[in-house]
Amino acid sequence: MTLNLCVLTPNRSVWNSEVNGIILPTNNGQIGVLPNHAPTATAVDIGILRIRLNDQWLTMALMGGFARIGNNAITILVNEAERGSDIDPQEAQKPLEIAEANLRKA
Amino acid sequence: MSCTSNSVFRVSSNPSINLKPSISIETKFNPFHQLPYSSKPTSRFQIKCTIRKIRERLSTVKNTQKIAEAMKLVSAAKVRRAQEAVINGRPFSEALARMLYHINESVQLEDVDVPLASVRTVRKVALVVITGERGLCGGFNNAVIRKAESRIQELQKLGLDCTIISVGKKGNAYFSRRMPSLFVDRFVEGEGFPTVKEAQTIADDVFSLFVSEQVDKVEMLYTKFVSLISSDPVIQTLLPISPKGKVVDAYGNSVDALEDEFFRLTTKEGKLAVERLKVGKRSELELHPLLEFEQDPVQIIDAMMPLYLNSQILRALQESLASEVAARMNAMNNATENAVELNTALTMVYNRKRQSKITEELLEIVAGAEALRPLD
Repeated sequence: MTLNLCVLTPNRSVWNSEVNGIILPTNNGQIGVLPNHAPTATAVDIGILRIRLNDQWLTMALMGGFARIGNNAITILVNEAERGSDIDPQEAQKPLEIAEANLRKA
Repeated sequence: MSCTSNSVFRVSSNPSINLKPSISIETKFNPFHQLPYSSKPTSRFQIKCTIRKIRERLSTVKNTQKIAEAMKLVSAAKVRRAQEAVINGRPFSEALARMLYHINESVQLEDVDVPLASVRTVRKVALVVITGERGLCGGFNNAVIRKAESRIQELQKLGLDCTIISVGKKGNAYFSRRMPSLFVDRFVEGEGFPTVKEAQTIADDVFSLFVSEQVDKVEMLYTKFVSLISSDPVIQTLLPISPKGKVVDAYGNSVDALEDEFFRLTTKEGKLAVERLKVGKRSELELHPLLEFEQDPVQIIDAMMPLYLNSQILRALQESLASEVAARMNAMNNATENAVELNTALTMVYNRKRQSKITEELLEIVAGAEALRPLD
């Protein structure tokens, strides 16, 4: 029994295949979804989506949105999503420092 | 400036004058009573200038033709990309529309206050006008601006105040000139393909205006991509969102994304062709009766509304871009054809002038030789 995950952003489809399970960052904390989960609708917070695929965990950054868990089919609609493997740590370091500086100033 | 030579035998480029050359010439050469000028096929006025000028003009026209053709090909490639962007965004907006509908249904039972769907008496209207960044696209930007003006007049006649949010350099230039009489809230300039971030800035602006009750209704004016040759500026109501998730335009007509036909630029037998695809109405997924809400339904709807707004604005931006690029392709196509016509006309005139000059010189030489020959 596998779970079909579909992650959609306004301009492209980021993920559309089967997974073993996910951990979803919602407004009320993180929830884990395994096959045969009860149908649920939830808002998704800005955070990291963990995807379990063949005993491996993959990560994806989500910029907040909405998720609907149906009959072994999860649809996640977010403003922007980025796979962990696509993010370059060097490049991301600078915006991180800028953001932290702004946070301290606020 | 007509072509003249310094010799005694004047050769005029005006075909209506019958030339009466001297007798000595007539015996030797064919009289040229009428220069073999047929009326120029396409140009509406006579091209009168020296050979050198015609040569310069010819090279200018050739250059312009090359540029226009290059721009046409670039635009054709861009149309395809823009259409693909619209197509890629469809799954998102479809899924969102469906879920919005379902959740609204289940939420009807409770008394839920959704800020973005609140219908108030309209006193002030915000109009988001989407124009292009660059020119050379035919009547595209003008059509949008004219529609915007007519809508503003309509609203003012109804006694409603109007705020403009202008997207795109061309619209910005126009509305900044109209500034004192028209209140413009914000100018947005895009770069290249519309991104989610751009749509986000516009969405944030619109959201804050609506929620803070500075405006009671938000409409969006963009160009719908009807076909490669025609595009249509339409006005769509962004806010307040109708609870069914259906999209209506300013006059209450449904412009639902789910009922759209859209066009695909493909090649058929080596020529560009347009394929029409009707968006298949997917079978409505039954809302599971036991659907749990992880959070309060209000919170969930709060999370969905910005997504919805975002996707609507992004789609409008993408369609506008596709129409603009298609218009540019057409304009450049026409320009290329005109350049080719001009080229032919100019070449015709050039060759005739060149030949008549040669004939002139020959005549002079022969006449001179004749004159020097002792009379027998």
